[in-house]
Amino acid sequence: MKAASPSQAQRVLILPPHKSCHWNQWVPDQRESLPVGSVDLDMGDWSMGCRELTELMEALGREGYTVQQIITHCPKTQIGAAALGFPTGLRPMADTDEETGGAQTDERRGDLRIHRGTLRSGDHLSSEGHALVIGDVNPGASVTAQGNVYVWGRLRGRAHAGAAGNLSARIIALQLRPLQLRIADLVARGPEEPPMAGQAEQACIRDGDIAIEPARPPFTG
Amino acid sequence: MTISRTILICSGKGGVGKTTLTANLGIALSRQGARTVVLDADFGLRNLDLLLGLENRIVYTAQEVLAETCRLDQALVKHKQEPNLALLPAGNPRMLEWLKPEDMQAIVGMLSERFDYVLIDCPAGIEDGFKNAAAAAKEAIVITTPEVSAVRDADRVIGLLNTRGVTPVQLVLNRVRPRMMANQEMLAVDDVTDILALPLLGLVLEDEQVIVSTNRGEPLTLNGSASPAARAYTNIARRLQGEDVPLMDPAREGRTGLRAKVRRMMQTKIF
Repeated sequence: MKAASPSQAQRVLILPPHKSCHWNQWVPDQRESLPVGSVDLDMGDWSMGCRELTELMEALGREGYTVQQIITHCPKTQIGAAALGFPTGLRPMADTDEETGGAQTDERRGDLRIHRGTLRSGDHLSSEGHALVIGDVNPGASVTAQGNVYVWGRLRGRAHAGAAGNLSARIIALQLRPLQLRIADLVARGPEEPPMAGQAEQACIRDGDIAIEPARPPFTG
Repeated sequence: MTISRTILICSGKGGVGKTTLTANLGIALSRQGARTVVLDADFGLRNLDLLLGLENRIVYTAQEVLAETCRLDQALVKHKQEPNLALLPAGNPRMLEWLKPEDMQAIVGMLSERFDYVLIDCPAGIEDGFKNAAAAAKEAIVITTPEVSAVRDADRVIGLLNTRGVTPVQLVLNRVRPRMMANQEMLAVDDVTDILALPLLGLVLEDEQVIVSTNRGEPLTLNGSASPAARAYTNIARRLQGEDVPLMDPAREGRTGLRAKVRRMMQTKIF
């Protein structure tokens, strides 16, 4: 089912990074490094609509390449490729966990559990140390950590820091609009008023209650 | 068209317009010349045949095809006016337990040899019915309405599609009421795309004509209706085919100019 299986992807043409040069200068040089025939095309960070993709395919076709599959992370390119009838695949990202697959990846560094990608409704991330989400936590999703919860994005779901009872644990997010916050045994509903623009915020325990304030370093510990 | 595209149409929540979108998109794509089949994976509560006006023509289902008691052409129901469009019910409402993910893959495999588009109408929910329907899908369209519950369910479904490696997943926002959006009585388009973070394939305005066409069994896109929803569905089909059609702006649709008012009056059937 999944198009990007490593066994088939031996012959891959990799487009140079966007902005380094235009692809029409790059296409004619490829025959020196990769013999013509059927290939997979890795589009890197290129964002192309249907029209430009067609031009690129024609240019590659004139050189003698037949593109079997288009590998990209850019949604626009994915949609364009699908509209032209190419199978699309995701580029396998470096140092990621095999099991999670898809657009979301998990990794661990020491006692920090890192999740890249949006946590969507129904998803749950838990960590025995700290938890870091690089992406949004949507309404209906939750993050639980025995240490701190860091969200490099919008926190709109539930977060529980200090799940084992650590009263000094904090919840820090670029935009803090949670449904519910918990630190250790305390529970608080999210704030009603919209958050301050451009200001990362943290929730921590002040005088026996959960309070929200501008985030302050140090962020570790 | 080098390969056939298998697109799952799903929403999580029920009643947001999956089946209506499937029927209208099927008609619109086939009118644009693509060989299209709509596969009703919601066979427990099947109504795609009703919307297409094909209920009385169903003799066999995919179930009989897989059991080899009939051929695929016998089970495929061709649309009366649109020869490019065919319907295949996945199963019989009385035999709910038979379908497995492998069966779905087998059916879609057969269909994709003959059609450019295989549209799968997914049942509501995220249980077995969804898993079966999603088993063979390569792409997906998630449809939702500007309501918190529908958006929440769509978000859940998108998460499930992501873990299955279905790409690209695109979004259709249905039943948009420009005036309510302008008055902030309804979630705005940005609020929805902000949470779901998907490329927007189309906006469909709330339109009474949809109800009329549903009850008649003639999808809006069939007769080239000029109603807002019909235009939206046709544009979605064109975007799906790779055409660059600008998105409708609900703020501008809300301001009803004199011309739009007159046009609406002309369309209203008084007698």
